[in-house]
This record gives sequence, structure tokens and C-alpha cells, in this order.
Amino acid sequence: MEKHCFKSKIWISIVALLVAMPIFVVAFSWLLPEHELWAYFSENILSALISSTLILLLGVGVGVTLLGTVLAYLVVMVEFPGRKWLEWALFLPFAIPAYVLAFVYLGVFDYSGYAQVWMREVLGLPGFDIRAGSWAIILTFVLVFYPYVYMMTRASFKRQKVSMIEAGKLLGASPIRVFFKISLPLARPAAAAGLLVTLMETLADFGVVSLFNYDTFTTAIYSAWGDFRSIEVAAQLASLLVLVAFFLIYFEKKARGQAKYYSADVTNKKPYQATGVMGWFITLFVFGVFMLSFAMPMLQLVIWGWSSVADEWSVKYIDLITSTSILTITAALITVALATVLALPGRCKQASNWLKSVIRLATLGYALPGSVMAVGLLYGINQVSLINIHFGGESINHVIYGSIALLLFAYVSRFMAIAYSSIEASAQQIKPVYTQSARLLGASRMRLVWQVYLPMMTPGILAGGLLVAVDVMKELPATYLLRPFGWDTLAIQVYELSAEGLYERAAVPALIMVIFGAMLMGVFQYLDKKSSKTS
Amino acid sequence: MSIKTLVSSTIVFSVLAGSATMNVQASSSVNSQDDSVTVYSSRKEHLIKPLFEAFTKDTGTKVEYLTGKGGALIERLKLEGANTKADMFMTVDAGNLWYAGSQDLFQSVQTETLKNNIPAHLRDPQGLWTGLSIRARTIVYSTDRVKPEELSTYADLATDKWKGKLCLRTSKKVYTKSLVSSLIYNHGKDKAADIVKGWVDNLAATPNAKDSHVMSAILSGQCDVGLVNTYYFGRLIEKNPTAPLKLFWANQDTTGVHVNVSGAGVTKHASNAKGATQLLEWLSSAKAQAIYGSLNKEYPANQNVASDDVVSAWGSFKQDDMNLSQAGILQADGVRLMQIQGYK
Repeated sequence: MEKHCFKSKIWISIVALLVAMPIFVVAFSWLLPEHELWAYFSENILSALISSTLILLLGVGVGVTLLGTVLAYLVVMVEFPGRKWLEWALFLPFAIPAYVLAFVYLGVFDYSGYAQVWMREVLGLPGFDIRAGSWAIILTFVLVFYPYVYMMTRASFKRQKVSMIEAGKLLGASPIRVFFKISLPLARPAAAAGLLVTLMETLADFGVVSLFNYDTFTTAIYSAWGDFRSIEVAAQLASLLVLVAFFLIYFEKKARGQAKYYSADVTNKKPYQATGVMGWFITLFVFGVFMLSFAMPMLQLVIWGWSSVADEWSVKYIDLITSTSILTITAALITVALATVLALPGRCKQASNWLKSVIRLATLGYALPGSVMAVGLLYGINQVSLINIHFGGESINHVIYGSIALLLFAYVSRFMAIAYSSIEASAQQIKPVYTQSARLLGASRMRLVWQVYLPMMTPGILAGGLLVAVDVMKELPATYLLRPFGWDTLAIQVYELSAEGLYERAAVPALIMVIFGAMLMGVFQYLDKKSSKTS
Repeated sequence: MSIKTLVSSTIVFSVLAGSATMNVQASSSVNSQDDSVTVYSSRKEHLIKPLFEAFTKDTGTKVEYLTGKGGALIERLKLEGANTKADMFMTVDAGNLWYAGSQDLFQSVQTETLKNNIPAHLRDPQGLWTGLSIRARTIVYSTDRVKPEELSTYADLATDKWKGKLCLRTSKKVYTKSLVSSLIYNHGKDKAADIVKGWVDNLAATPNAKDSHVMSAILSGQCDVGLVNTYYFGRLIEKNPTAPLKLFWANQDTTGVHVNVSGAGVTKHASNAKGATQLLEWLSSAKAQAIYGSLNKEYPANQNVASDDVVSAWGSFKQDDMNLSQAGILQADGVRLMQIQGYK
């Protein structure tokens, strides 16, 4: 027993500490303090940045939780017209990069956008600066990130016992009361997991905040690096983001509480039927969200792409699509495999605080802005080189820099959190009784893992894999810095064209990304249906 | 517990180091053997690829390139050190070029060809980098609501008569930073701070993310005047020739229009410095300069080359002849000044 624990501890530690390497590099930056720049920052800009960041996090947090949970509840518990396809359509915004969505929104709703021009010219209303204040950027983030909460709570509602809701109905509780008193508390862990991912994405975002010119903590990181050429202060500021992420994870665990929610009977029966006006009202609401978050931006991209596809399309796109696919699929497979190793239930893990801490460390990279993560990796490799040189070896920088391995490493470090949280949530659904009876029957750990754990964790593994794949496909800053020669991706093409103002042409690679993402989701849907049938 | 911790961390480290050493051995035989030139560039691919293809056609030398963001590529060059594959680093904004020079990433290249082709204020005094195209940042105005007689200097846009009528691009963009550096150079810090403060007070909207947004804001009536790089204006006019917008050359009676450059230098540890120098000289030549400018409606740095027809139609102007390394030297001061004055 002890021996087994020692072995598994070593393996899990190796995986987790490797994944957490950029976090260590960022933390070590405190060894090189720069007092002058810190004094300037704290005196002049930090307090404003912290409050604007908190406002953003609060607004986005409340928004995604409400929208994501309500949507998930509606599609799982209520039968309304169009429910079947909307349930899947609501995933589609995942495929659009946040900065592309923000771009389209500004194009439509900014002072010079169609919507405001129409408002002024047809309705005679006064125009306004949509980027002033924080409501517009909060709404944008909510529409970009609600699918995280939607995806996780949807899975959780699906596992809830219909009988409990029936009991609530029998006791005369209104549907709204049932939602707040029964369904929502049961979905709390899932909502908290989705919220956590959203908040970390928001903290690390640079694209959307740049387009709105909204200053967050990330702004200070880029200013330290870009304006004051201090990679050290940038890393120190980034380490504070990691600290925030650490607390968010802590609170998420708290929010889950001690309670464990085990999976229950799965049926496809909907407890509520919304018919007539009510049904159409719900349809209108859900469809409205789908329109705003997917259909409208898509329409804009198609209009742009249509006018420029002849200029922009070339054989180069075969390469772009190939490298994007290879990176996306490889990174998703590796991340999911490692996350599964970390998330597998086990007695050793239950008992070891050390293991719990290293695993937590491994999931913090998600809060680092992509370029900080990338530079952190470069510095980390450089340290290994220096150690190597110290012992009479050579620098390894030129071998590792620009290698595909390093880029994959960056993806794994950055996206471990989403794979892990989704897989771990499904691991928590496994009732201890399964493990106990398997043990009683004399099953080895190997068999337990293969025949009990993995099949039961499949929904989480699939969801985690999909999320990582879509995120890798959209990832820009780390890819831009670390990719090997000739490994341009679709996201890079979108960025290079749109940064130069060539939006019509940028729409072409953006559309290919959306199609690619939709295909990934199609595969996910197929596997998800298959696995829910067999379990 | 603590012993186990120690053991596991030791193992992690040795795995790291071990795999690293293996990698070195596996690849030490792969080294640059051909005579191609490798370029790291923050100038976007569609703007450099046609040039490199023309260079290869002329000279037979192949060019490999990797695009990326300026600051990130500089960091990568620094860490790659003597082992870098890059022979040339190409970027936009003199501040970036100056910084790469100050980090000892370039070697000095001062050939007669470069001196003849490119004016001195567009080159680094020590020959570390050479400007290859000029990007002029000047005033753009609505022809419906503003008369050109009302316009004069960058500083004038800070006066009360433009209250609620000015649109600016974000202070986070290098072109804004280098313009403010030039204000500090020309007027001193205090005056520059007053100008920036005046701009902020006159803003009609939150500073825009892009120059193109500044122009759409003017077209839609949100504001009347703004500051843009001329090639963004060029692209807009190409698409919409009747747009009621015009350029005004700022500071013609005083210091001249603020210009920035895109440029390049040969890296300090270039394995093919000869090829990179040849590429740099070729890029400064009349033939390349004509392509270089017209691809992006910029002004050629080589003064013997006429600009593209669209660009020439805007007329000639007096340039600010501040040596562009100043844009780099003063950049951090400029940023502090803008952050303190609340220019977002």
C-alpha cells in the first residue's frame, strides 16, 4: 500500500510540476525586484486598474452564471419549440475567438456602427460612446463565455434525479421555486467550475480589452513589458494574477462544499412542458441569445468573407489548416491524457496534501496571459540551459526554442485547468460503492481504472478534450511567439490581417476556424450521445 | 513527507535536464549549412513576402522568415543569444528598433549603399539599424465640419476650440508613444504634459483601438479631427474615394510632421551576416523601395524613389528631422506622461 502510494505520488508530482513550470518561473521573478517601477505603478495606475478589473470580474461572473445556468436549465428541464437544435446551437459561440466577436460587436454597436447609425437617423435618438464605462465590455464577455457555464451546468442538470423535481412539483412548488430550491443548489459545483474558467479567461484576456481600450490588470503587465522593458516586473505582476486564480480555485472548492453529488438515473423525460405563449417566449429568449452570440457575428463574417475570398484564398491555407489541425488534436490528446492521470480517483490522493497542492499548481497556468506564459517557458528553458552549462554541457535553447514540443508544452500548461476541472467533476460523480465492490471482487487497480473509472469519466474527458481543442485552435499569443518556422495557424492569419485593418480578408481564416470548431463540436456531440447511451 | 518531496523534485529536475541533454546530442549535427537568410519580423507576412520573393529572384538567395510581435521577438532573440537562427530582425516603430539595439542584438552595418540610399535621421547613429519606410502621423479632419485654416499643430489640438471634437488612438500603440516622445523632444516634458492633458480634455470618445476606428468615428460625426498614420487614410480612400475626409500636414511652420519608420538590422549573432547585409542593401534600393512603399501606402525611406500615385496626391510635407533613436530613448518618459495624464 505504502509502496504503491509512493510510486503514484512520484508520477503525479512529475506530471504536475512539469505542467506548472511557467508558474515557478513567474514566481521566481521576485528575486529581481525593481523598486522604482513598482513605486511608479503603485502610485499612479495600480489602484485604478485593480478596481476596473474587479468590476469586470464581478459583472462577467454574475452575468455568465445567470445566463449559462438559466439556458442549461431550460434546455434540460423544459420542453419548448426548437429546444432540440438550440441545445446544441448554444455551444457554437465557443468556436468564435473572443476578439473576433468583440470586433464584430464594435463594428455594429459602436458610434459608427450600423445599429447606432440606424438609431440616430431613423429613431432620432442621441448617439453615445459604447466603450465608455464597463457595461458593454461586460456584456461582450458574457456572450463570449456563457457557454462554459452552460456546458458544465447542462451536464449536471442532466444527471439530476427527475424524481426530486417531481417531488417538488407534487408539493406545489412553482417551476421558478423548484429551480432555485432544488435544481440550482444541485448544479452549484458545475456552475462554480464554469464560472472559474470564465473568470480566469477574463483575467488573462488581452484581445477584447484592447479593442474596447478597457484597462485591466493585464494592461499593467503589458505596459511593464512593452513600455518599460521590464520582463521582471511583468512577471511579478503576472504572479499576482496567479495568486488571484489560486484564491478563485479555493473559493470554488469552498462553494462545492463537502457535499458530493453522485450521478443519478438518466432519463430523457422533461419535467416541464412549455406550450403556447410561454413556450414561444422561452424559444424567443434562447434563440435571441443564439442570434447575438453566434448567428449575427457569423453573418457579418460571411458578408466580409464573401467579398474577399477570391483575393485571400490560396494554397497557403492548406498549410494553415494542416498545422492548426495537428496542433489542436495533439495538444488536446496530451492535455486530456495528463489531466486524466491527475484526476483519477485514488486513496493516495485523498490522503496526501502534497499531491492536492501540486495538482492545484498545475492548473494555475490558465490565469496567465498567453505571452507571459510563453516567455515564462523560454526563461525556464534558459535556466535549464544555464544549469546544463554549469555542469559542462551546452545550452539547449536553440534546440528547444521553436520546437513543436515547446509549443505543445505551452498549450498543456495553459489549458490544463479546463481539462482537469471538467474531468475531475466527472470523477467526483463516481460513487465510492463502485470502488468498494470492485475491490471486494478482487479487481486490480489497473482493472478498476480501465473498467470502472475511465468509462464513468468519459463525459468529462470528452468535454475537457473539446474545450482544450477549441481553445488551442483559437490561441494566439503563445503560438505566435513559440511556433516553429512554417507552422502558422489560422488564428495567426486572422490576427495579422485584422491588425493591419484588413477585416474583410481576415474573415476568411476566421470562418474556417468557426467551421473547424463546429466540426469538433459535431464529433463531441456524437461521442457524448453515444456515451450517455452506454452508461 | 519532506524527504519524499525532495526525492520527487530531484527526479523532476533530472528528467528535465536529461531530456534536454539528449536533445542537444540528437540535433547538434543539424546546423545551418545553406546560404539562405533568416528574418524575424514584426512586419506582417503579406507585406514582406512579395519583397523577399523579389529578392530571391534577383539574387538567388532564399529568405526564411518568422513573423511575431516586436517585443516578444526581441525577447526570443535575447534568449537565443549566439545560437539564434535569425540573421536579420525587422520591425515597425523606431522605439522597437532602438530597444533591440540597446539590448546588443544588432551589429553595426554602415555601407556606402545604405548611406546613399537612406537619410541620416532615419538610420541609427551607430549603424545598428536602418529605416526602410516612413510612416507619417498627422491630422485627419472632416471636410464637412472643419476648414483647413482652423488647423495648425499637434499642440493646437489641445486648445479649447477642439473640446469634444477630437478622436485619438489608444496611448498603448507605438505610434502614439513615439509621437509623444517627439513632443517631449521638441517642447520639453512640462509642455508635452500640458498638450497631452489638453488632448484628453478634448476627447469626444474613449481612445480608439485602431486608426481606422478614429476615421470611422469622424465620418459618423462622433468627432471632427483626429491623428492617424497616413497609410490607414490611404486604405480608406482607396475603398471609399468620396469619403469627406482629408489629411492636414501638421507643424509645417514649426518642427514638421512626426515620422516613424519600419526598419531592420543585421543581428549580432547572424550566421549569414553577409547575406543579411546584402538583403538590407537590396531593401534600400530603388527597386525594392518602390514595392516596399506601395504595398502599404507608406513613404519610401529612399528619397530618390517617388511614392506611389495615391500617396503622392496628398502632396509633399516637411518632416520632423529628430533622429528616430530619440523616439526610443524618450519612450518610457512618454508613456509615464500619458498614464499620469489619464490618456488611456
